[in-house]
Amino acid sequence: MLSTRVIACLDVHDGRTVKGINFVDLKDAGDPVEQANLYSKTGADEICFLDISATYEKRKTMFDVISKTAESCFVPLTVGGGVNNLNDFRELLKCGADKVSVNSSAVSNPKIIKDSSDKFGNQCVVLAIDAIESETMPCGYEVTTHGGRKKTNIDVLNWAKQGVENGAGEILLTSMTADGMKAGYNLHLTKLISENVPVPVIASGGAGNPKDMVDVVLKSGASAVLAASIFHFGIHSISSVKKEMLKNGILVRDCEN
Amino acid sequence: MDLIIIDYGSGNLRSVENAFSNAISDSSLKCKIIVTSNINIIAAADFLVLPGVGSFPDCKSGLQNIKGLNEVLSEQVLFKKKKFLGICVGMQLMFDYSLEKIKTSGFGWLSGNFNKIKTFGLDYLGRDFKVPHMGWNSLLLEKDNHPILRHISEKDQYYFVHSYCLEGNQSDQLIASTNYCHQIPAIVGQENYLGVQFHPEKSSLSGQKLISNWLKWSC
Repeated sequence: MLSTRVIACLDVHDGRTVKGINFVDLKDAGDPVEQANLYSKTGADEICFLDISATYEKRKTMFDVISKTAESCFVPLTVGGGVNNLNDFRELLKCGADKVSVNSSAVSNPKIIKDSSDKFGNQCVVLAIDAIESETMPCGYEVTTHGGRKKTNIDVLNWAKQGVENGAGEILLTSMTADGMKAGYNLHLTKLISENVPVPVIASGGAGNPKDMVDVVLKSGASAVLAASIFHFGIHSISSVKKEMLKNGILVRDCEN
Repeated sequence: MDLIIIDYGSGNLRSVENAFSNAISDSSLKCKIIVTSNINIIAAADFLVLPGVGSFPDCKSGLQNIKGLNEVLSEQVLFKKKKFLGICVGMQLMFDYSLEKIKTSGFGWLSGNFNKIKTFGLDYLGRDFKVPHMGWNSLLLEKDNHPILRHISEKDQYYFVHSYCLEGNQSDQLIASTNYCHQIPAIVGQENYLGVQFHPEKSSLSGQKLISNWLKWSC
């Protein structure tokens, strides 16, 4: 039986993690390579790097981060942020990324989903959607870009369906309203998308404790859960999340293996 | 000993190389890894690994772009009995054909073909079965005395990501399967050649265990 995945996300700015992990056994709290390794050793099923570097030059440091992480971290690596063309895809995959997520670039150039999935396979194309509530959208949610700052007038459900038709193998769905609030995932949004697209949906934005992760799986049907800050500060570990999930009947991968 | 990872323009070569290199140093084996598309080097190798991500037709055409590669592989594997491991699409290529996008033939070393994963009903939590089958899944050990499964139990999980699966039940070729809506072949093979539908290079310690079993396997 397939395990429900727990994904740890690291926000990387100019080659350094923005929200450092507060763990005692880390030599350098800002080193994404060291953090990724720690997460994978403690049971993360995937690692997701989100590059929020300001400039293209600084973004190149991400290649180095991926290469170094891939040397010793044998779990799937997803990289997103600033991916604009097939060459960016190729470079990241060559360094050892397994999946690449596209967000703003897919809005300005929807063809990138089709082109990249044709070229590299749909297993490696993740469509990241940053959603906000919107009364004017048919599904009630609007796609935003640039970290939620720019509205697009695109309906989230239509966008997700269209992305999958064009070849996205997975949807990384973030509720921008819930993100950072630590009050739980947006269950309604996650359920809406999970039930209407045939590919896996990763729930993101809002995790405050292990129970939130249980809820979004049981109540919204998420295939995977992603969190950043609750892991960073060592309040909740991956294993405590998995323990809670298991207690609630959700199958997870053993952290020891 | 030389272990060749075949570079035909498809695949996460870097990850495969990293994972094999780690398994080699952990089990203190003497083995050199070469990533190449040079058929002379491939012909002289001791062990062969064929990775593969993306679609079956794309991988097939990548192989065909290297002149003589198909023939060299079949000769080394079927006649010279070199130890071979196919990973994901590399495993699928060992069979007769795949129906992904367009019917495309494989090497035909094993019999069977690949078709889109068929799903029906809901999973144990009432969720739809999504395709691709993506994530960590355990193995049902069919031939539990096979050396590739040494110290591997149903507690170990492996990272799968695929939309097509093997059809046709050739039980003599099946070493382990996995359960996703129905039973899906996960490790297949015969004599000196094996294929895995999942990604051992991305399967953490369980993957390392399997790679090192394969390296130590004297077929």
